Amino acid sequence: MTRTSDIGPSVAGPIHRRRHSYAQKEQRLAIYLILPAAVAITLVMILPLVFALVASFFQYSLGQQPVFIFLGNYIQFFQDSTALRALLNTAIFTVLSLSLCIAIGVGISVLLKSLAPRQGNVLRAIFAMPILISPIIASLIWRYMYDPTYGLVYFVLNGLGIHDFGGLTSSSTALICIVITDVWHATPFIILVSSAGLTVIPEELYEAARIDGANAARTLFNITLPLLTKVLVILVLIRGTDAFRVFDLIYGLTGGGPANSTTSLSIFAYQQAYENNQMGYAMAASVVTLIALIVLFGPLMRNSARPANDF
Amino acid sequence: MRRKVFGALKWLILAIFLIWTIVPIALVVINSFKLPKDIFTVIPTLIFEPTIDNYVKALTQSNFGLYFFNSTVVALGSTLVVIVVGTFAAYGLTSFQLRGANTIAGAFLVSKLVPVIALLLPLFIIINGIGLRGTLFAPMIAHVALNLPFAVWLMMSFIRDVPQELEQAAMIDGCTKMQAFWRVLFPVILPGIAALFILSMQYSWNELLFSLQLTTIDTYTLPVGIASFVGAISVDWGTSSAAATLTMAPMIAIGFFVQKYIAEGTTGGAVKG
Repeated sequence: MTRTSDIGPSVAGPIHRRRHSYAQKEQRLAIYLILPAAVAITLVMILPLVFALVASFFQYSLGQQPVFIFLGNYIQFFQDSTALRALLNTAIFTVLSLSLCIAIGVGISVLLKSLAPRQGNVLRAIFAMPILISPIIASLIWRYMYDPTYGLVYFVLNGLGIHDFGGLTSSSTALICIVITDVWHATPFIILVSSAGLTVIPEELYEAARIDGANAARTLFNITLPLLTKVLVILVLIRGTDAFRVFDLIYGLTGGGPANSTTSLSIFAYQQAYENNQMGYAMAASVVTLIALIVLFGPLMRNSARPANDF
Repeated sequence: MRRKVFGALKWLILAIFLIWTIVPIALVVINSFKLPKDIFTVIPTLIFEPTIDNYVKALTQSNFGLYFFNSTVVALGSTLVVIVVGTFAAYGLTSFQLRGANTIAGAFLVSKLVPVIALLLPLFIIINGIGLRGTLFAPMIAHVALNLPFAVWLMMSFIRDVPQELEQAAMIDGCTKMQAFWRVLFPVILPGIAALFILSMQYSWNELLFSLQLTTIDTYTLPVGIASFVGAISVDWGTSSAAATLTMAPMIAIGFFVQKYIAEGTTGGAVKG
């Protein structure tokens, strides 16, 4: 049942003569209903975006006269080693976090499905906990975990005989540490969504596979994953865009250090705006982020723009 | 034999994942009841003398009581507005033959691509300009607008699932369009509103960046308060653990009961739980 079909005739039939004004009235009501949302989104999302785009063409600091430099900020961005480092860090973070989250999350939800429903539901409820926690708290928790003197991570690694782990203080391991924190925080989301996706796969398919003598791996790759494709696309879209815009976790764990090794694009733009008062440059960095997001995730979005009713 | 090995392996993996999930949370909760001498030990201690000093300190010296109040007002206020405005907009976009409704719906989805940093500075200037910075309205306005596109998208998917004949039947019986909404549609889409309520509360309760820039010391929300701990040169682990526990407890408690809505809600109804 779709809602795009015309409801006019069947309803307005008996009052045929007034049909025109009636339809007009309805249209007006629809516009009144939509108006508040449209105004709010225009004022708080669209106008600021236009402002950001315009400001990115200016050399602009608060309290100073803006100077039009056209693409100057963008040229500076692609010559700035810190900015390029931020772009690279963001890409590495997104790829690592996304692939780990999805692999672990889907794996765990497949395992949960094989349990008795009650066991599975209890475990799933517990596994869901991290996603309910604010990212800034997740970073606080993991700052303690990564504390070189008192942290549990070092305690465990020492027990395993590893004594030279750099953790958050070394520029070679800090980004990995943040990825691990993000995997801890975001995998539950994958588990919840892919579990929901798994419940709609018809049980008959698995029975048929069992009768045909398919083993667990074949069932996974030939039935479960193909039927989960649609869910996986949505997961990549939601998690991927979130990871690419990462801010809170890094802000809380390292603030972008040591030596810019964990600076993401959002952290970089924030620092330019609020620490260096380079508003125009910060806006250019945001626009670059926006363009990267459109290029990377736009194609996926076209496919899933309409909420699916046939699922 | 092979089956048994598989079974054991499965439980081993689940057990490891359980430890991995719980230990960091348990650690912060346990620390919140510890004295500094028990927190700062090289070998983690499980036997200690419990204390509520950290909670007293968080609520009195660190103003966390105030932040808790602020967060509650901002989260409830913005969620209420999001539900009302979002649901009506979704109804307007789905149940009337409005040209371009699908384009507008698609445009809402694009908001996922906007880096919030790009909105932050312009919004800061606007809010400052109209004199709302430092009031609770400032983060509320930001949260409402940031949540709305998603809210509209989610509610549209719920309204689309309701057979249109229900509404038509009500109108043949003499209901106006709005009466049909309240009597027929509203009761059916209540689960969607519940999902929206939870997700919107959770977003607002946990949101850091806008609250950080748009509030001042009297209107800090909980994440901003936590961030001020994290930003300090030496973190006061006891007090910040207590504050973190107070902040995450309500969301975890709610989440336990409504997690099926999270899957359905965050994907805009594309994945039914």
